Amino acid sequence: MRRVAFFIIFGLTISLTPFKTDAQQRGGGRGGAPQPPATAKAGAPIDLTGYWVSVVTEDWRYRMFTPRKGDYQGLPLNQAARQIADAWDPAKDETAGDQCKSYGAANIMRVPERIHITWQDDQTMKIETDAGMQTRLLYFGNPEGQGGTWQGVSKASWDDDAGFGVKNELFDRAFGSVGGRPKASSMKIVTTKLKPGYIRRNGVPYSANAVVTEYFDQVKERNGDTYLIITTTVEDPTYFTMPYYTSSNFRKLANATGWNPSPCASR
Amino acid sequence: MKRSNIALILVIVALAGGLVFGQGQAYSPLGINLTGYWIQLGRQQDAALGTAAGDLVDFGGVPLSEAGRLSALAWSASRLLLPQHQCIGYIPPYVFYAPGYFRIGEIRDPYTQELTAVHMRPYAAMPDRYFWMDDRPEPPAYDQHTWTGFSKAKYEGNRLSVYTTHIKEGHIRANGMDQSSEAEVSEHFIRHGDRITYFSVIYDPVYLDEPFPRSLSLFNVPNDPNSWTMPCDDAELSGDLPKDHVAHYDWGAHPFLRETADKVQVPLVGELGGPATMYPEFAAKAKDPNFVAATEKALVAPVPGQPIARKVPDSTPHDSQIHVLPVRDGVYMLVGDGANIVVQVGTEGAIVVDTGTGALADKVIAEVKKLSKMPIQFIYNTSFHADHVGGNVKVKLAGRDPEANGGNLRATAGAGSTATILSHVNTVARLEALQDVPANAWPTDTFAETRRRKLHNGEGVELFWEPNAATDGDAIVHFRRADVIVTGDIFNTTQYPFIDVKNGGSVQGEIKALNDLLDRTVSFRQEGGTLIIPGHGRLSNEWEITLYRDMMVLVRDRVQAMINKGATLQQVQAARVSADYDPEFGSNSGSWTTAMFIEAVYNSLKNPPAKTAGN
Repeated sequence: MRRVAFFIIFGLTISLTPFKTDAQQRGGGRGGAPQPPATAKAGAPIDLTGYWVSVVTEDWRYRMFTPRKGDYQGLPLNQAARQIADAWDPAKDETAGDQCKSYGAANIMRVPERIHITWQDDQTMKIETDAGMQTRLLYFGNPEGQGGTWQGVSKASWDDDAGFGVKNELFDRAFGSVGGRPKASSMKIVTTKLKPGYIRRNGVPYSANAVVTEYFDQVKERNGDTYLIITTTVEDPTYFTMPYYTSSNFRKLANATGWNPSPCASR
Repeated sequence: MKRSNIALILVIVALAGGLVFGQGQAYSPLGINLTGYWIQLGRQQDAALGTAAGDLVDFGGVPLSEAGRLSALAWSASRLLLPQHQCIGYIPPYVFYAPGYFRIGEIRDPYTQELTAVHMRPYAAMPDRYFWMDDRPEPPAYDQHTWTGFSKAKYEGNRLSVYTTHIKEGHIRANGMDQSSEAEVSEHFIRHGDRITYFSVIYDPVYLDEPFPRSLSLFNVPNDPNSWTMPCDDAELSGDLPKDHVAHYDWGAHPFLRETADKVQVPLVGELGGPATMYPEFAAKAKDPNFVAATEKALVAPVPGQPIARKVPDSTPHDSQIHVLPVRDGVYMLVGDGANIVVQVGTEGAIVVDTGTGALADKVIAEVKKLSKMPIQFIYNTSFHADHVGGNVKVKLAGRDPEANGGNLRATAGAGSTATILSHVNTVARLEALQDVPANAWPTDTFAETRRRKLHNGEGVELFWEPNAATDGDAIVHFRRADVIVTGDIFNTTQYPFIDVKNGGSVQGEIKALNDLLDRTVSFRQEGGTLIIPGHGRLSNEWEITLYRDMMVLVRDRVQAMINKGATLQQVQAARVSADYDPEFGSNSGSWTTAMFIEAVYNSLKNPPAKTAGN
């Protein structure tokens, strides 16, 4: 009987507490549980829309210029990947119409470029690039398309597990915001079903099995600058010995000045 | 206790906790948890930097200013042989690019349990760092800079945002590319699961033309790596090199200028850095041979024209108030009336080193009275210049020297009724030669030899004559217990040294004096230990003296090289031989301009100073 009482009371704790804490944390007030935003656009915790320019300060020599063949320093490649990279032939890519191999989702945000972010609809964010003239569609709802393209299929969400090593639903339900659960302030994107491409322009491959996980964060500086920081993990069981981690930065622009659509280049 | 009762307590605690924290109380910030052990995993992004150093002339993607680039191009790795360069500390954000672990924890008020600071301990050469969360005021601009700087922080969503000021000059990369002591750094620790994306922006008006943003990833380490100390001590590497030797390359003659660019097949114009190299358009520009040829040439030497004036605000307040900075163990720095004024207090009368311009002498006296119940007994003058002795009369009259009222001195009218002014004998001679300085402003106690000493307020106090430095009568004052040295105009953080050649100053004596100072300083990683109060500017220590000495040696060598080739003064001035230092120390107006400084260096090299009394 005591055991039953324990579980009843503990269960009540779990079920009732979020009503008080999450409601207050997320602005629900005392009137009851909050209603979730009707659309991803309406619920966006940050405004990513606008023009951005990449600030190429990481891996500068590999991103600003096409590295020499066989220069794959820093990339966690297996032997198969090295063999492919060592055989890189940009002329062959051009002949095959594959100049955009380094403009796929696993590398497109590393390309020196300007990007334009808009909402295509209430559930779909669109990223256009001037370099390579690529378009990424990030689906907060059900993704469309079968993939097999440079940009694959991207599933987006407003990340609400930031700051925690392990998502713990039980803890969440019991304690809500107690202890410091932050409100979501990142956009998380998981991209799959990619057409095989290059993780570095000099022919270093990623495969159709690659999974690209990205977090988009925004920070505002004292001088008024706004930066977009993209934290990326590329996992590729075909060519990588471990996940490949990068982070890339963009600074927000007031307008489209400098927007310079240009086709993909393979060298 | 029955289990049901325990459960009931759990319910109450949970509900109460939920209500309290859910309402946004400040007991625990509604932020992320960064505590734990972290490491920059592997060498993936920016692997080419190696151990954060980068290659020689590897500046691509860094928005270097002209001064930043020229400073980096002048740097030679042989400089690391100098003892003051061997163990320098790491600064933010460089420390995150160095190998090793980071430990992050929390400091909480033991009574309220409010979060006082986030604490970070790196393995690499940086002391413990504190991100203050408690809204404490920022130190004044004239307070010392440290490797860690002063950091204020707050949680914002899923990140900890930190803003740091008061950082020493240190590496952007350990290839000569530095971040100046005027830089401020913004940092954001953004957590996603077991990964922190660390995003930093350096704002440096001296060595950068634009903010410098970049990022890296830190990964959680489950167990204590137990690797938290990095030993370093002076090694005797410089052999028989003279103390006034600082290794450097001449602009345009860097022996490894193209080494990295050629190795990685990147245009040199890119590897020389600058704001344009950060942006997408640069790749296309770098393919234009005309652009490359013209730009490369312009980037490896100073651009002809007017020197760049100091780009940073004066650290000295100009609000007609005297500001008091406690330095250490009864020694205080008084700021606001010309040259820095220093006060030592104790059970005996106060010692005042220099008296400023005199415009705020009454306020100086009032502040000293707050610090010392005893009257001002001694005034030490480090120089005869007006901004050091202007308050002599008023401060002297406000004091009293009982020692001067004893023995045979008793017979002298008014003996001991004022403070006693002491200086090197040459300083008195220079003051006597001035028409507008009253005789009662002159020091009455003088020394002519290298050293004068006194045990006062329980502390050994030494004065050392530094011949032919800024003038022929400069003295430095060392408070030995507090381990504080007052340098007078031999060292400033706000301008080039005022080398008064007409009154016996010389670049040779200036460099010797700076090396004499370095012979007296003790530090760990070039901070802590001996504190240095400059003639003008902020409280400092060994590292700032080291950089000032290096600067003087480089400028001297460049001027001497041009003299050896027969250059006139005008040609030397037009060559902008101090271009890498001008944004920090230069001026094109006022009483001490860059042109006047170069003239002083030129003239003292053309006509070395004759030995003066006691030299």
